[in-house]
Amino acid sequence: MNSSGSQAFVNQVLIFTLLALCGCGSIGLGTVWMRHEISVAANQSRLLEARIADIDRHIQETDAAIAAEEDPVALAASNERWHLGLVPPVDAQIRRISVDPVKRLEMEHNQAIFGEGIPSIRFSVALRQ
Amino acid sequence: MSKGFTSSYRTALLAGLVFTLFGGLGARLFWLHILDRDELLHAVEESRRNIIVENARRGEILDSKGAILATSRPILVLGVDPQALRADDARKWPELSRLIGVSLADIQRVMTTKYYPLAATVGAPAAAAAPLRIISDADEETVLDEPDLRGNRPIRWAKLCDHLDETTYDAVKKLNVKGVYGTRAYQRAYPNNGLAAHVIGYVDHKERPIAGIEHYADFYLRGQNGWVESEKDGLSHEMAQFRTRRVPASDGYSVVLTIDATIQAMAEEEIVRIAEKYQPVKATIVISDPSNGFVLALANYPSFDLNEYSKLPRDEQGRMRNVAVADQYEPGSVFKIVAASAALNEGRVTPESTFDCTLEKIDYNGSVRNLPREDKSDHFDHPLSVAEIIAHSSNKGAAQLAMSVGDRRFYEYARAFGFGQRSGFPVGGEVSGTLRPPEKWDGLTITRMPMGQSIAATALQMTQAMEVIASGGVLLRPQVIREIRDPQGHVVCQFERSEVRRVISEPTARTMARLLMGVASSSGNGIEAAVPGYEVAGKTGTANKLLPVPTASGGSVLRYSDRHHVASFVGFFPASHPKVVISVIVDDADAHCIGGVAYGHSVAAPIFKRLAERLIPVPDLHIQPPLNPQLSKILALGGDHP
Repeated sequence: MNSSGSQAFVNQVLIFTLLALCGCGSIGLGTVWMRHEISVAANQSRLLEARIADIDRHIQETDAAIAAEEDPVALAASNERWHLGLVPPVDAQIRRISVDPVKRLEMEHNQAIFGEGIPSIRFSVALRQ
Repeated sequence: MSKGFTSSYRTALLAGLVFTLFGGLGARLFWLHILDRDELLHAVEESRRNIIVENARRGEILDSKGAILATSRPILVLGVDPQALRADDARKWPELSRLIGVSLADIQRVMTTKYYPLAATVGAPAAAAAPLRIISDADEETVLDEPDLRGNRPIRWAKLCDHLDETTYDAVKKLNVKGVYGTRAYQRAYPNNGLAAHVIGYVDHKERPIAGIEHYADFYLRGQNGWVESEKDGLSHEMAQFRTRRVPASDGYSVVLTIDATIQAMAEEEIVRIAEKYQPVKATIVISDPSNGFVLALANYPSFDLNEYSKLPRDEQGRMRNVAVADQYEPGSVFKIVAASAALNEGRVTPESTFDCTLEKIDYNGSVRNLPREDKSDHFDHPLSVAEIIAHSSNKGAAQLAMSVGDRRFYEYARAFGFGQRSGFPVGGEVSGTLRPPEKWDGLTITRMPMGQSIAATALQMTQAMEVIASGGVLLRPQVIREIRDPQGHVVCQFERSEVRRVISEPTARTMARLLMGVASSSGNGIEAAVPGYEVAGKTGTANKLLPVPTASGGSVLRYSDRHHVASFVGFFPASHPKVVISVIVDDADAHCIGGVAYGHSVAAPIFKRLAERLIPVPDLHIQPPLNPQLSKILALGGDHP
C-alpha cells in the first residue's frame, strides 16, 4: 500500500473507513446480541416470577381449603361421616400434673423398665495382705 | 474518471437532485420529529405501552391461635374476547362447558354476541334487547371497544364464569380455545362460614369493607396494588426487557383477634341450642378473659353466613346486627352487683349487715319512697344480710343498699362500672346505653335502678361490669384485636390489657366474688349455674320488658310486661382465680318456658353451666379446680371487707 504521495490520504481514509465499518458492525452485532440476551433473561425472569406467583396462589388456595376443612362444623360432620366417635374431653378425664410432662413421661417409662427404684449395687472389696 | 462526464451542467443537476432529495427527506424528518412529534409519540406509546397491575392480597383475619377466620382465596375469572374466536374452535365449546360448569347455551350466547346492542348504547333499556345477563352490566362484566364505522361497539371481553380454580384453568388452557383467557383475582372467603360473623364482618364483591373487623381494621388489612410498566409486542405479549418501572404489590397485614375459634364455636353451639329450645327474639353470649379484657367469644342469635351475606333477603338483614353491642336492654337483677359493690366499697355495709326486706315504704332524704315488690315466690320472714340480698336477689334489699350510698354516689358508681357510655368496642355500632343523671330521676328511680330498671345497657357493658369484680375492681377496655402481623408474620403492633379506671378496691371485689358465689349455691337462686367441683360466681337476671300498650285515646304507653322478659346470667369462674367471664342473655323466650316466664335461673343459668363445663378442658384457659375446698374458703374469707 502506498503510504506516501497523493493516494496515501485516500488509502488511509478507505482503511479507516473499513475499520470503522467493521468496528461499528461488531459493536452493532454485539449490541444486538446483548439485547437479545437481555430479552431472553428478562423473559426467563418473567416466567419464573409467574411460576412463583402460580405456586404462591396454589399454596393460598390450599390454605383456604384447609382452613375450610378445619371449621368446627366441618370437623363434626367429618367425625360423623367417618364414624370416628371423637368426643371432646370432659373434666373427669383430665389428669392435671404439676411437673414437666416430658419429665413425668420419662420417669414413668423408666419405672416401667427398671421397677420402682434403682437397685443398689454393692461391691465387696477384700483387703489383700 | 473522464473529464467529459463531469460537465458543470450535469454536476449541478446531480447536486441539485441530491440536495432536493436530502431537502425533502430533511423536511419530512422535520415534519415527523418536530411538528407531528407529540401525536406520533402518543400513538406509539399507546400501542406499545403496557401497564400490568399486580393485585395485592388482602390480609387475613386470624383467631388467637392462628386459625384462619377470613382469607383471600385466589380465583380466576374466565372471559372471552368474541372478536378473537376461531370458527373451528366451536367444536371445543361442549368440553369447555363441562369444565367450567356453564351451560352450553349460555356459552354459545356469550361467544356469538360480538357487539353491544346499539339500542343500549343510546340509553334504551338493555335488558329487553340483550339476551345476555352480562351485557346488562357492562361496567363489570364486559369490556367494550370504540364503535366501528357502522357505529357498533365490539365486545372485547365478556365474562364466562368466575371462581375458577387453578386446576380447572389448566385444563381450560389445554383446550386452546383462542380468545378465552382467565384473569387472576382474589375473592374474600370465610372458611368458618358464620363463625363470629358479627365480629369479623365482611367485604363486598369489590373487596370494599362493609362491617366488622373487615371495616374497622381495613387500614391494616387492605394491601397496595403494584404495577409493572413495560411495552408489548404486536400479539399483546409483554416484552419484559422493556420494563421501565416496577412497583411491587404489598399485601395487606393480618389481624389476629382475641377471639378463640374453639370457644366461639362452643358459644355458637349453645346459642343454637337456646334458639331451638326457646325460639327467643334474640340471644347473646359473651365470653371474656378478666385478666386483660380480651373478648374470647361473642355470639349472637340471629346470625348469618359471611359467605352468603348478599343472599339474605331484605327483611332478614337484621341478622347482621351485632345485638351484643348495638342493642340495649334493662339488665334486671344482674345490676344489683353495682348497688352491693357501691355500698361495700363506701364502707356503708359489711356482708353481715342486715336489712328489713319486708318493708313496703321507706323514708329517704326526708320523703317516703315505695320499695319495689319482690318476686312472687320470694317472701323473707327475717332481715336479710347483704350476702342474702345478693343470693336471693332481693329487690327491696338492693334498693336499700343504693339508698345507703345516695343518688349521686350510686350514679357515679354506675358510671364507673361502664354504664351509660361506650366501652370503645370497635365493631358492631356500639351504643352507649341509657343512664340518666340524678337530676333527671323521679322519686322512684333510686328504688328501681338498683334492681336493673330505669337503666339500659348492652350485653357487652354487663359483661364488662361483671369483669370489674372478676378482675379485682378494675374496669378493663373490652378488646377484640390482639395483634397485627405483616405478610411475613412479624408482629408489628400488639394490644395489651387496657385499664380504664379502678372502680372498687381489690378487697371489695374479692368480697363481691364471695357474695356472688352464694348465688350459684344451694342457698342462692342460681344453683342451676353451679359447676360441681368449681367455684362459680354470678348473678341471675329476669327483667320485665317495656312494651307499648295501647291506650283508650288511641295512643300507646310503655309498660312493663308480665309475659315478656329478658333472662340473663352473668358470672365468672373459678371465683377465687377467675379465668373467664360469661354472659348469657336471652330475650323473650317466655312462650316456650314452663309457666310462661323465662327466668334467668331457668333459661340462662343452665347455659352458663354447660358452657363452663365445656370450657374447663380448654388447655389455654388453665382452669384448675380448687386444690382444697377448705383452703379456698379460707382464702376467700381472707379478702373480706373490714
